[in-house]
Amino acid sequence: MENIEQPCRKVASSGTEKSHFEDEALEVIWELAESGEVRLKDIVKEVGNEEGVIGMSKDGLIAVSEDKVAFTDNGRARARDITRRHRLAERLFVDVLDLKEFEEDACRLEHAISPEVEEAICTFLGHPPTCPHGKAIPRGNCCKLYIKKVRPLVQSLPDLEVGRSAKVVFINAPAMDRLASIGLVPGAEVKLLQKKPSYVLGIDETTVAIDEDIAKGIYVKP
Amino acid sequence: MHTHETEKAKAAAASGKYRRIALIGNPNVGKSVIFGLLTGKYATVSNYPGTTVEVAYGNAAIEGKKYLFVDTPGVNSLIPMSEDEKVTRDILLGERPSVVLQVGDAKNLKRTLLITIQLAEMGLPVILVLNMEDEAMDRGIIIAKDALKSMTGIEVIMTVAPEKKGLKELRAAISKGDYRTPLLNIKYNPHIEECIEKLLPLMPDAGISKRSLALMVVSGDESLRGWFNANMETSAIEQVEAVRAECILRMKQPVGMAISGDRLRRAEEIAEKVIKRVPGEGGSFSSFIGRLSMHPVWGIPLLLAVLFGFYEFVGVFGAGTLVDFLEETIFGKYLNPMFTKVVETLIPFALIRDMLVGQYGLITMALTYAIGIILPITTTFFIAFSILEDSGYLPRLAIMSDRVFNIMGLSGKAVLPMVLGLGCGTMAVMTTRILESRRDRAIAAFLLALAVPCSAQLGVILGMLAALSAKAMAIWIGSVLGVLLFSGFLASKIVPGERTEFFLEIPPIRKPALRNVAVKTASRAVWYLKEAVPLFMLGTFILFILDKLSILRVIERFASPVIVGVLGLPPKATEAFLIGFFRRDYGAAGLFAMSEKGLLTPEQSLVSLVTITLFIPCLAHLLMTIKEMGLRYALSTAAIIFSTAILAGGALNFALRFFSIAV
Repeated sequence: MENIEQPCRKVASSGTEKSHFEDEALEVIWELAESGEVRLKDIVKEVGNEEGVIGMSKDGLIAVSEDKVAFTDNGRARARDITRRHRLAERLFVDVLDLKEFEEDACRLEHAISPEVEEAICTFLGHPPTCPHGKAIPRGNCCKLYIKKVRPLVQSLPDLEVGRSAKVVFINAPAMDRLASIGLVPGAEVKLLQKKPSYVLGIDETTVAIDEDIAKGIYVKP
Repeated sequence: MHTHETEKAKAAAASGKYRRIALIGNPNVGKSVIFGLLTGKYATVSNYPGTTVEVAYGNAAIEGKKYLFVDTPGVNSLIPMSEDEKVTRDILLGERPSVVLQVGDAKNLKRTLLITIQLAEMGLPVILVLNMEDEAMDRGIIIAKDALKSMTGIEVIMTVAPEKKGLKELRAAISKGDYRTPLLNIKYNPHIEECIEKLLPLMPDAGISKRSLALMVVSGDESLRGWFNANMETSAIEQVEAVRAECILRMKQPVGMAISGDRLRRAEEIAEKVIKRVPGEGGSFSSFIGRLSMHPVWGIPLLLAVLFGFYEFVGVFGAGTLVDFLEETIFGKYLNPMFTKVVETLIPFALIRDMLVGQYGLITMALTYAIGIILPITTTFFIAFSILEDSGYLPRLAIMSDRVFNIMGLSGKAVLPMVLGLGCGTMAVMTTRILESRRDRAIAAFLLALAVPCSAQLGVILGMLAALSAKAMAIWIGSVLGVLLFSGFLASKIVPGERTEFFLEIPPIRKPALRNVAVKTASRAVWYLKEAVPLFMLGTFILFILDKLSILRVIERFASPVIVGVLGLPPKATEAFLIGFFRRDYGAAGLFAMSEKGLLTPEQSLVSLVTITLFIPCLAHLLMTIKEMGLRYALSTAAIIFSTAILAGGALNFALRFFSIAV
């Protein structure tokens, strides 16, 4: 799958804004660093702008000695964030939105989201360890908290254990109107009473039976 | 059932002497119980959502003033999602009630208020009845009635309907006449409010506010379309569509979801302020049974136990002991000889004597069958069935059988009309209204007519099978279930459309109230007599005429390739199938009489039973199918059913002979 990923080089070379360019270059460097030593000429080959890369070393994002390039602390933190956002965006597009063409949008989204949104997406996706191409998603604060809890924060009803209560996070199921009319909306607390032969849920004092098609579309936070 | 009375009540109301009061509320909260207590008229009461599928009218005088009460099918939202819910919304749209008696489940205040909010938006005055206060107490839910009154601005009354608790207060509130509209208006998202503003001038006059109509439009209520077409100019409809499309575009989530989300939040806010929770108690045994009955493993032995109990009570006790007593002793030894004597002394004409007490006599055949054979069977069936209904077991059966129904392209919810069809197919066709799509209704109504024998027929069949052998019973069950599953499977492939998802509310298990079981059984038995006896009479009379004109022999000869050739039955069995055209149970009773007289071999009995089980539905059932599903549907399914019955019977006959199976 490796060859499918082209992280934002096109956008990078045509980008005019300085910080935008820096973000893209940092991302490239992060990726090169994942597979070994980083050489200036490899970076230039990817982003096509040698002066820009040299400029980054003046701004204290990277250190260049001869043709070897290394991150400064500052640069590493930024590269890490941008890579994380990019790969989370890919996960979102692939897993949730079921898109086939997603790279370009992932490139745009990585610049657009705030740390709060980034954390929300990560939580929503259940703190995925890798991007769709199999590369590691750098861990954020939310993931560290999660590791202590071990359990994914959002799961669909079929993954919930029988007998547990959970809060509904979102619903993308058939019969949404019917669910809403008995109070089953995001934010509601449900208890999973059984899974077989049909799913049975308790919401307040209401008990309702649904089939797997509906249950799969109800996402909850235990 | 009460058509005549209903017409009278409606006419009286139209003349302006009566105040109209509509009973509205969530499913299975006890609207029909309260309706019955207020009007003294019995509306069927059970413990599962969807018992009431049509409107019932009844009047009552309270402190000298006259009222017309309207009982409606339960709704979870006033945007209908199935036929029965649409009935209720249309009542509000057209009837202009003086006040709405909203009945709610005290332990489910949030969902109750969700309806109250919608009634408030419609601009209707409401009296809120919180029923089942005892169940709420058992679960430790205490409602501060006065706080709820002041927050909603309407009268709130707590009741325990079966114990008549709170009924006096309810009557007082009705006769006081100070009806108020709830103060529960919600301001929605600015985009939605903007669309509503634009829609308001376009909305036609109705029994409910224009704002509520506009809200239904933006929520995407498709069921309103027909009403709009009848009440609005085409150009206005187009404008409405344009505003709605704009609204959908501007909202980030489905508009209907946004609206119900806001309503729920408001309902929750109020519920939290007025509910006090204390540790609950009681009900643990019934909730244990409730869990057991839908358990993937324990649910099955429980189901078998229920079936066995049913068989013992209806098949052995009803169709055996009671029929023996009524048919052979009461009719055979006392009534029929007595009638025969009376008729022979009083009536000098041989033809009329024959008509009354002869071989095809209205008394000796029709009445004997109806009261001697069928009545005890249907009565025992309805007693057992009412107990099951009131216990709340039936919806749990839907959980157990969802996957089986998936084979037939239906969801487990279809088990409700199907099981009701074991009581009476005519009622069951109407109950298919609880299914969400026309497609599901079409399949369910077809299967009901084909392979679900009604209680009368079932009882007779069980009686005959009990006299044969366990093997015969197994073959009969296998054949009928096989035909049911196979034709359901085919129908699901042929009828276009997708299966509706399974979604069904499960009521708590309750102890059936003896009184309700008795009243319900009595009302059904009376209804049965009213419906069946005239048809029995008519069928017998036609047989009598055919016999006298010697046409019966001609028909028997004419039908003999099928009856004798395909089914391998004696020519006389033609009579049973002939009257089977009027009622399947009457046909089965004819076969019962034949086998009692030793005119059928066990194998012939089995083949004739399978054929009559699948035979075309009775006249009343057919008429109801025409009313609910249309003439074309009714006739074409009847033709399919008739050929399927003969084919299945013929195949069984062939198989029994070919493998020389003795039963």
